[in-house]
Amino acid sequence: MIRASLSRFSITGLYQGAVGSLNYRRLFEQEALATVVGNTLVWVVAVVALTVVISLGLAQLLDASFPGRRVVRWAVIVPWAASLIITAKLFVWVYDYYFGALNHVVTALGLTAGPVDWLGNDATVMGAMIAVGVFVSLPFTTYVLLAGLATIPGEVYEAARLDGASAWQTYRSVTLPLLGPALLVGTVLNLIYVFNSFPIVWTLNDRNPGFGHDTMVTYMYKVAFKSALRDVGLAAAVGVLNLLLVLLAVLLYLRTVRWQDAEA
Amino acid sequence: MALRRPLVALVSLAACLALVSGGCSRGDGNTLKVVIAEYSKDHTKPFWQSLAGDYTKRTGVKVDLQVIDWNSIDQQVTTMIQNNQPPDVLNLNAFSSYARDGLLYAADEVLSPQTRADFLPAFAQGGEFRGTLYGLPVLASARAFFYNKQLFAGAGIEAPPRTWNQLVSAATRIRDSAPGLIGYALPLGPEEAQAEWSIWMWNNGGDWKKGDRWTINSDQNVQTLQFLADLANRHRVTQVNPGKTNRTDGAFQLFKDGKVGMVIGFSPLAAQLDAEGKVEYGVTSMPTNERDAVTLGVEDYLMAFKKKNNREAVRQFLELYYQPDTITRWISAEGFLPVTRSGVDRLSSNAKLRPYLDALPSAKLVPTTDPVWDKVKLDVQQTIGLAVQPGGNPRQVLDGLQQRATAAAEERR
Repeated sequence: MIRASLSRFSITGLYQGAVGSLNYRRLFEQEALATVVGNTLVWVVAVVALTVVISLGLAQLLDASFPGRRVVRWAVIVPWAASLIITAKLFVWVYDYYFGALNHVVTALGLTAGPVDWLGNDATVMGAMIAVGVFVSLPFTTYVLLAGLATIPGEVYEAARLDGASAWQTYRSVTLPLLGPALLVGTVLNLIYVFNSFPIVWTLNDRNPGFGHDTMVTYMYKVAFKSALRDVGLAAAVGVLNLLLVLLAVLLYLRTVRWQDAEA
Repeated sequence: MALRRPLVALVSLAACLALVSGGCSRGDGNTLKVVIAEYSKDHTKPFWQSLAGDYTKRTGVKVDLQVIDWNSIDQQVTTMIQNNQPPDVLNLNAFSSYARDGLLYAADEVLSPQTRADFLPAFAQGGEFRGTLYGLPVLASARAFFYNKQLFAGAGIEAPPRTWNQLVSAATRIRDSAPGLIGYALPLGPEEAQAEWSIWMWNNGGDWKKGDRWTINSDQNVQTLQFLADLANRHRVTQVNPGKTNRTDGAFQLFKDGKVGMVIGFSPLAAQLDAEGKVEYGVTSMPTNERDAVTLGVEDYLMAFKKKNNREAVRQFLELYYQPDTITRWISAEGFLPVTRSGVDRLSSNAKLRPYLDALPSAKLVPTTDPVWDKVKLDVQQTIGLAVQPGGNPRQVLDGLQQRATAAAEERR
């Protein structure tokens, strides 16, 4: 990919020679780049944060024993097992202006003045994509956290109970710290997956012209094949930048976490 | 995010961007790599599989047949060429960039004079790059104007509109005849915006090019795009957000559901409407501001890639495809239009194809013979929708397209 990013290609994909850093200089001149980087930031932070918070609750729920737990545990896996493209297509119909289930619900409940074009309206499309991103990220994250919960020995809870800690105190001072490693793994892996997620943004955003709602990964694809640029070399430069951005994000996260650990 | 898919997507994308190798590609003379676009799940693969089987039986040359859906064929073919593994025979909706890059055999090198002479002249011309035929017409289609007869009756409209003014009034009456109805479904989202736009443009006397010059931002074209924006925002007779509506899952879906009075369609839409039996529809020519209605003809191509030792094998394969009975069998199965004289003779009695065959003489092609078009098309798909959104600026959008097209043309010189 690095080699491709230093080369020029014809629109057909034919190699036309080395161009040094030209593709990188051109990349930073692209007007859309700032928007796309901003979108990516919103997309990654929102999906990962919401996923982790909701997964913490879900994991707690699934860790408790209740009748039918096995069924619910299986049910949580479903969005993970389903193909992302199929899931995304399904949500295209859920969000549809004319036929979508969501508009039936919100208009029936009187939540909005009329139907909303969730995927066509600039104000709602990112939120709509984030919701689907969270939906498909929950199973994996929940199971990582569930595995984390399973490693916490019962004795520490017993000790907390003997000390007279309330449920919330126990959760904050016992469960969360001991979940640390699982939380770390869940968050870092999610950071990477969400950043690299292609099908959801691509499918839900395919009706919108331009780069207004693209993330770095769909931008890379459009630069290579679907926009007037149609330039594999420039797209390779985007790919290299993506790699660096993910690396940077993960390092930043790890540093913050370790820094907190040191403080604690 | 779920584990597998994005990772796979990333890895494959990275892999497709990664490899560059030099040197000359060669066919081994024993296997022919044939890459075909998937026109329909039911017919495309079976037809080419049987053709490939037939071919192998006759020649002993194996066929590596790849049928690829339209969404990913550009990407996959680019990757093949980038990795120096081009196909021997490729079916696509573009050819001139490949001809410009010197990758293709000219028609004379791989077709017999009889086969060459059987092409309809307009389609043979549509496959020429700098006066030489490289893009062999594989099939054609023509757009036509579809209207919902029940909705027309319900709104008391007697005949489909012939002019743009009649279109506005018909669309308005349909919208007002019952809640939830849409007069005209206008898909200017990225999927096929260049097709919809071409038809409107031509029916107002505009064009993509005049001679060698791009004329995307001509006064007529600005007027046309303003008209489309007005349909959406002033007359309010289109579906919501026409600049962000695709054809297949947007405009066609609404028409099939009986919500829409009028839409520009083609024979596969007719086939779906017939199969569902829900909408009683008519097919006619476009409303126009000109003396004669113009429609869009689409020509797709077969290309023969130059490799060492593959010319004879490619030639035999193409000759087999262009046997009048063979090509006609496929084209009629897919519901498309013939590109050969013998095909027209065989299909002219087909009542279902009648409206499209009738439209063919008035059909214009987009400028696929100019390699710049391969970029302009993508540019139009990604920008023209913005002009019909509230607050959109048709002139500014067309100026931008014109400027980028001219710049790309300069670069080629």
